[in-house]
Amino acid sequence: MKPLCKSVVGGLLLILLGGCSATTTIDEYRPSSQPILLDANEQVVVLGRRDAGHYETDREFIDCVAQRMRGSDISVLPEARFIDAIYPWFEPRTAPKGLPRLKKLMQDPMIKTVVNQQSVRYLVWLDGSTETVEKGGSISCAVGPGGGGCFGFAQWDKLSVYEAIVWDLEELQEMGRLRVDSEGTSYLIGAVAPIPLLTPVKSDACASLGNQLKTFFTASE
Amino acid sequence: MMIRKITYRNISHSMTRLLLLLTTLLILAGCSSSASVQIDRNFPSVLAKPKPIAASIVLTEEFSNYIAQPNDKTVIDLGSAQVQVMKNAFAGLFNKVEFVTTADQITTDNGLIITPSVREVQVSTPSDNYLNVFEVWIKYNLDIADSSGEPIVSWFMPAYGKTPDAFMASKPKAIEEASIIALRDSGAKLMLDFYRIPAIYGWLREQQRLEQSP
Repeated sequence: MKPLCKSVVGGLLLILLGGCSATTTIDEYRPSSQPILLDANEQVVVLGRRDAGHYETDREFIDCVAQRMRGSDISVLPEARFIDAIYPWFEPRTAPKGLPRLKKLMQDPMIKTVVNQQSVRYLVWLDGSTETVEKGGSISCAVGPGGGGCFGFAQWDKLSVYEAIVWDLEELQEMGRLRVDSEGTSYLIGAVAPIPLLTPVKSDACASLGNQLKTFFTASE
Repeated sequence: MMIRKITYRNISHSMTRLLLLLTTLLILAGCSSSASVQIDRNFPSVLAKPKPIAASIVLTEEFSNYIAQPNDKTVIDLGSAQVQVMKNAFAGLFNKVEFVTTADQITTDNGLIITPSVREVQVSTPSDNYLNVFEVWIKYNLDIADSSGEPIVSWFMPAYGKTPDAFMASKPKAIEEASIIALRDSGAKLMLDFYRIPAIYGWLREQQRLEQSP
């Protein structure tokens, strides 16, 4: 291939890949700039809010954020293990939506005992969803005895909006909140074979949120 | 030589047709909108202190083997899962509880007789609701009577579960997840609201008054 051709192909690839990156914004609120101290025997649990009518904070995203937060100094309890242990008090119908209800729940000695047995000190509520906000273009595929292929161009914008709220289950107070907005456009080019150029909007939101939440906590010496 | 060539072409065309047919069948199978779901998940015990009340729960054969067919294309085998959920929830409500299949097997003298039944199961898919969620409603009915068989109340107890639609995720899996969430919700609803039923509250007050009276 001639050097000029290589430059053109390289430039096109860079433009296409550049168009496939998500724009992510994180807003953070913390009453104190000091990181939250986590003892060696204390754990964090990440739970999804599932009481909204038109969307569901999906488990895949919760697991992704928990995985991001998990590290040598932060122990994260799986969501299912916590809600099963405390069933039915953290189901969509019964989960506390605010601190007053949480305080009331924690007055129950049975619930308090289970929380202590699970060594859960902090609870992170995640609420949000990823949605396709705009679509454009069209692509059509056809298959015949002589062969087949796809022709056309399609694009769609995805928007991920998630909010995380950190509760201290010992002091029964809010320790901070985070909001992540991630937006990006994906493309599908039909040039005989369909070529997808996908923007990882949701995984970008997960990585940003998980990494930022990780900075909330630090292991005590 | 010529005959051989034609035969080869015929075989080649037949193979192509067969492959196309198989590919089409696979695609159509992937797009199939029917779902047959069997719920075989363990449900957790409830975290609650039962009240000092005796109860007999009549889990009929019909209830234990219940298979819902909310529409022509969906079948959900709820029987064994709902029995497990009900047993766990009632064990958290009453300190003395027995489970029987017919009313004539009841041995408890002084307590409640509860007969749960399924009134209706409804399913909604993203193509129905234009949302990215699969939804399942299980509408239970609890016929509650005292130990003499005198009806106290017939309580309607709806339970709801939803699960997000995911790219390439199968419809049966999504309906199974939504059904599991609805079953868990039925346990939560029972724990949260059973003693708030006005007729049950009244019956409890009456029992307390009778116990205290000389």
